[in-house]
Amino acid sequence: MTAAVSLDRSEESRSEQVEHLRRKMALMSGKGAGSAASTRRGAMPSNTSLPDSETLLPLPDSLADLLPTSLPRGSVAVLSGARSLLLGMVATVTAAGGHAAIVGQPDVGLLAAVEMGADLSRLAIIPDPGGDPVEVAAVLMDGLDLVVLGLGGRVVPPTRARAVTARARQKGCTLLVTGGDWPGASARLEARVSGYEVTGAGDGAPIPGCGRISRVRLATRAGGRSVGPVRKVGG
Amino acid sequence: MAARVLAIWCMDWPAVAAAAAAGLPATEPVAVTLANRVVACSAAARAAGVKRGLRRREAQARCPQLHVVAADPARDARHFEGVTAAVDEVVPRAEVLRPGLLVLSVRGAARYFGSEQAASERLVDAVAAAGAECQVGIADQLSTAVFAARAGRIVEPGLDAQFLSPLSIRQLATEPSLAERGREDLADLLWRMGIRSIGQFAALLRTDVASRFGADAVTAHRFARGEPTRGPSGREPPSDLGVVMNCDPPVDRVDAAAFAGRLLAGELHRRLEGTGVGCTRLAIHAVTANGEELQRVWRCAEPLTEDATADRVRWQLDGWLNRSVRHEDRPTAPITVLRLDPVEVVSAAALQLPLWGSSGDDDRLRARRALVRVQGLLGQEAVQVPVLSGGRGPAERITLTPLGDEAVPRADPGQPWPGQLPEPSPTVLLDDPVELFDADGNPVRVTGRGLFSADPARLTAPALKSAGNRTGRLSWWAGPWPVDERWWDSGQVATQTKAGRTARVQVLLDGDGDTAGRALLLCYRQRRWYLEGMYE
Repeated sequence: MTAAVSLDRSEESRSEQVEHLRRKMALMSGKGAGSAASTRRGAMPSNTSLPDSETLLPLPDSLADLLPTSLPRGSVAVLSGARSLLLGMVATVTAAGGHAAIVGQPDVGLLAAVEMGADLSRLAIIPDPGGDPVEVAAVLMDGLDLVVLGLGGRVVPPTRARAVTARARQKGCTLLVTGGDWPGASARLEARVSGYEVTGAGDGAPIPGCGRISRVRLATRAGGRSVGPVRKVGG
Repeated sequence: MAARVLAIWCMDWPAVAAAAAAGLPATEPVAVTLANRVVACSAAARAAGVKRGLRRREAQARCPQLHVVAADPARDARHFEGVTAAVDEVVPRAEVLRPGLLVLSVRGAARYFGSEQAASERLVDAVAAAGAECQVGIADQLSTAVFAARAGRIVEPGLDAQFLSPLSIRQLATEPSLAERGREDLADLLWRMGIRSIGQFAALLRTDVASRFGADAVTAHRFARGEPTRGPSGREPPSDLGVVMNCDPPVDRVDAAAFAGRLLAGELHRRLEGTGVGCTRLAIHAVTANGEELQRVWRCAEPLTEDATADRVRWQLDGWLNRSVRHEDRPTAPITVLRLDPVEVVSAAALQLPLWGSSGDDDRLRARRALVRVQGLLGQEAVQVPVLSGGRGPAERITLTPLGDEAVPRADPGQPWPGQLPEPSPTVLLDDPVELFDADGNPVRVTGRGLFSADPARLTAPALKSAGNRTGRLSWWAGPWPVDERWWDSGQVATQTKAGRTARVQVLLDGDGDTAGRALLLCYRQRRWYLEGMYE
């Protein structure tokens, strides 16, 4: 609703309005800004006095300029494409003091997350969640700030998705879905590798046999209700 | 009345223990040497002129049939254990000062046996029955009792100082378990100053002794005056914290096992709370109807709660009862006896919640509770916690341990690891066989010198179903970067630990049109190429 109203306004007033409405909603539901502030303050960096930090998920820099506002806590987002995006979000959340879990992704390269700044002591991996990974994710929402759910091609019926989305909103836990679709997700992020930087292999096209890969360039697209129209950013 | 102390002294204990270990009769001359000097000898050897402090050769010259044995404190202690047990039978809670010397509080025993004399006779008999000779001494103070035992006397109450006063000042240093390291020098110094007996030393003023000879001299002075020192502190019998349950009917189903586990965990935790400790290592034993014994020790990062204990019992029994049929360790009969033993306990302060508010890690506990619930759903191994480890490849540098176990990295990440892959690491880790070809279509190998046999040009992945995005021409490659790890492993172990000569290569696959290429990390080991990771 709020997104629909705000879409046709200008950029600044829109984001302000979303913030305002979101705060109102949080007050009405009794959860969010007020109560979340008391439970989560210790985990957040001390310099963020804005209420944003209580209701919004910390995001990596590459995404910060892509999304008009950060992802709200308690929302569901579908990620697709390159894995760096997911690991970057896990790294940012754990580095900011949140707890995260990765469900159903046995092949994820955690060392890459460490290099992005992740705090491994706040991270748990459930490589094989059994027959029902959605159930495991729903249980984890109780205590974690971010749950990454690899569906592995499974289809989640809309009724089930609605129930889990409501649970995520109530518990203030962000759910990132990969490897499948999530009916009614509030944001869809897609990352694609746009190129590699190779150091030490000469100017122009890299010379075979020299240098090493120094950086992966990502092109990220974001869409969905809470994000607004689809935008593109090169990373 | 002061607490009376009884000392039991087995003379020449190292020699007695050495003779017993060698199976020699007590009448044989035996000498124990340390650093080429005799430190103890048997009565027969002493009669032949051997004494403490002699060189080994000289002792052998004085007594040609002498058995010379090297000193071994472990042997002395081992043989003395029988004597301790025999004494414990008569009077419990004896303190062992050193192998060969026991002290115990005699007050209770004297009342029980009628008199101190009777108690000492009983003790001498008990030690003799254990195959050793001893002398007993009783005095008011522990150290006086030791000297009384050397003389074989019972010192009347209050006469400690009087008993000690005619003894030579050199006696101060004779008993190593009562004297500190510098005591010999002190005794020597006092002797040279003309103080020849302990009585003369006791007559000095305490302040003079303290200001001239230091702290150890004050201790010696207290002893010389027969002033109260510490009493014997016998060992406490270790409290039995383990709990046992006899399962009737025998447990063969997991739900029954879980129920039994919960009951046992409750009982164990009441006992642990009673003693004020928390358990960090728990041993679970089970005995089956056919007499098989199963055991596993669980190590935990923090003290177990009652629920955590119950969970671990359930997981363990689940594992035992549901092992696949071909598994040779599978129990052949239902479980009849279940026992929980706390192997390692810590002070319960670690379990204490703060009085006001939270301890500041509310979030952590909340997250942990959620993860433990998932563990309850899927089993203990399902929830893994990563910890940074040492290594060269990207997969080795993360160690996953089940939540609740102590997170110990496989290798120390603090060490330098030359040959470690530089940043960035691949975001997807795989282990799929692939093939690498040169421009003419011949397979590429890595030579013993760590070089390509030919420049690679094309990559195919025959084993992969979705091979489309991992097959293609190479637009760029770098390496090979050889590593020779764990070359000492061989055979099956080597395959498991991925030991031997390996080499890693970064390659860039050609993109087609709009999509950019892919960067892959390849690994060459056991003469095959594997796709180890993807950068994306």
